Amino acid sequence: MVAALRKVFGLASRDYVHEWQMSGCFVLALAAVLGPMMVLFGLKFGIVGAMMEQLIEDPRNREIVPVGSGRYDGAWLEGVRAQPEVAFLVPRTRSIAATIELGSQRSSRIVPVELIASDHGDPLLSPHDALPEGLTRVVLSRSSAEKLDVGPGDTLDGSLARRFRGRQERVHLPLTVAALAPERAFSRDGAFVSVQLLEALENFRDGRAVPELAWDGVPPDAERTYPGFRLYAHSIYDVAGLRDAFAGLGIDVRTRVAEIELVRRMNRNLTAIYWAIAVIGMVGFSLSLGASLWANVDRKRKQLSVLRLVGFRTMDIVWFPMVQALFTAILGWALAVSIYYVTAWMINDMMAAQVEAGQQVCRLLPLHYAIALALTCGAAVVAAGLAGLRSARIEPSEGLREL
Amino acid sequence: MAERSAVTRSSPCRSNSCRDTGRPLDDVSAESAAAPEFGQSLIYLLHDVVKTRQAEGVAFRLRVPNLRIDRGEKIALIGESGCGKSTLLDMLAFILQPSSAGAFRFRPNGDGEPVDVNAYWKRDKINKLGDMRKRHIGYVMQTGGLLPYLTVRDNMNLCRSVLGMKRDGTVEHLAEELGIASHLGKLPDALSTGERQRVAIGRALAHRPAIVIADEPTAALDPYAAQKAMSLFIRLAEESNSTVILASHAWRHIKELGLRRLSHRTRRSKDRKLTETVVRG
Repeated sequence: MVAALRKVFGLASRDYVHEWQMSGCFVLALAAVLGPMMVLFGLKFGIVGAMMEQLIEDPRNREIVPVGSGRYDGAWLEGVRAQPEVAFLVPRTRSIAATIELGSQRSSRIVPVELIASDHGDPLLSPHDALPEGLTRVVLSRSSAEKLDVGPGDTLDGSLARRFRGRQERVHLPLTVAALAPERAFSRDGAFVSVQLLEALENFRDGRAVPELAWDGVPPDAERTYPGFRLYAHSIYDVAGLRDAFAGLGIDVRTRVAEIELVRRMNRNLTAIYWAIAVIGMVGFSLSLGASLWANVDRKRKQLSVLRLVGFRTMDIVWFPMVQALFTAILGWALAVSIYYVTAWMINDMMAAQVEAGQQVCRLLPLHYAIALALTCGAAVVAAGLAGLRSARIEPSEGLREL
Repeated sequence: MAERSAVTRSSPCRSNSCRDTGRPLDDVSAESAAAPEFGQSLIYLLHDVVKTRQAEGVAFRLRVPNLRIDRGEKIALIGESGCGKSTLLDMLAFILQPSSAGAFRFRPNGDGEPVDVNAYWKRDKINKLGDMRKRHIGYVMQTGGLLPYLTVRDNMNLCRSVLGMKRDGTVEHLAEELGIASHLGKLPDALSTGERQRVAIGRALAHRPAIVIADEPTAALDPYAAQKAMSLFIRLAEESNSTVILASHAWRHIKELGLRRLSHRTRRSKDRKLTETVVRG
């Protein structure tokens, strides 16, 4: 059995090499269909993928911002945070109190920055970087880091002032740059800080004491309320539901529901268009591959009958065209990949100016190459197998007398 | 003398004599007798084997009321093309299924039970039939049937290698005998028709089959080359003690080679819708 298969493999290979011109034509024909299809998919994956990633995955689309200021206590915020649709929630202090002036050793400038409440799991920050923590560790926005000429690990001098009991007071506190926020997280001068630090700064400005930093003042209230919060839904699909829930509580929120709907509709339409092209392409590809392999088996019917005459079994004979179809599939795929590589390189080179650094207009994952190979081999084996079976089924004498 | 009798006995289908035998064509039973015993030396035993083919309203029927072929016999089937020689050979090589068969037995070796070929056909055991053919039968096709992608050596060695036989110089010896030793490394394309036909003869003999079937092995050659190739073929088959079953359209090429001629008669029905060949021997 194995010996017969090896024999058939050897014969099929020798025939394939012997007919190299014909084999080359089949390989070219296959690559001519598969190559452009791979470019098309590369474009779909590159463009649509990047766009969808940008639009769907951009956390700003999942943000829900309460309009105006309210009075939310800790327990209520805990309850909202526990909702399954909520991915991230952190309380905000009054924005007028959420600023600080920063100085560094390397820069002579004093930069006033906005402070953004942050915590673990902040969707605007990279999960791989260090997070703002405690009263000292902050994450700077790019623009403020540039102005201060600092990077992760550097120290900063934070200072803020208040009028307390009739006199101007200024305090300094040492801060450490834990990390830099991604470019798109915050475009102005800003710093992501812990709620604890924000509360301390607000307390100081309100004339309350901050024992942790040895700042003097009146004792703070027992129950703290927050004027707002930063909230991100789990996915863009949860935003509309959360907006309605807040509206039910009488809280006006600002969302990007309209933009999300636009994106979703565009995604649906583009996906539909690409699927239509993909299905048409795949059907055409399978038909062209199947037809050429089928015709090839018909052409070789007499030779296959000779194999039958010298005693090869039905399955061995079916393997003969299947082995050759596999050669065509693998070589055609390899050629198509080369075509794709050259084309994709040219497209990406041409479009490099229009897209963000590191982004590619035309790109495929290794998985896509594997899928293309598997589909090609599958279609080839099925077509050649069916044709081979048909050839093996006809009475051997008929095949021998043909031509 | 022999040649003239060949003409009268296996008269071409077109000749008028086809029609004046006076016996209805579908009368099969008249010649049927009980199947004879399977003797020790018998290889083939056919009894009431019929193959009918239909094409464009014209039917062709080959009828074999009785055919016995003994071990070591050299059989010749002489007749014009289209009279059913190839049909009979193909049935004997198990590459064509009979339409019906009273008995179709095959025993390649002197011992063991004869194989019921028709039963295999009926149960669609074409792989089993293929195994038998592979082991016991060499087949020389009219047009060579060489694989164009194999060298002469590999073509001649094909049946041997399928059987897993080791290379022992048989192919080289045969090539020497056939006068194609210098072509062993070439592809069939590089050979003349006559040389290719000799390669085909070599391939059919290389695995020392018990039976060699040859369908007009020299039809494509000029008369001189044909005569030479034919006597070479018969001599080589004799050397390996093979039973030979040969079809040819020209008796004069082979009359000196000592073959037993199967008698056959071809007739055509009055409406020209049915041609029937009856072979017995």
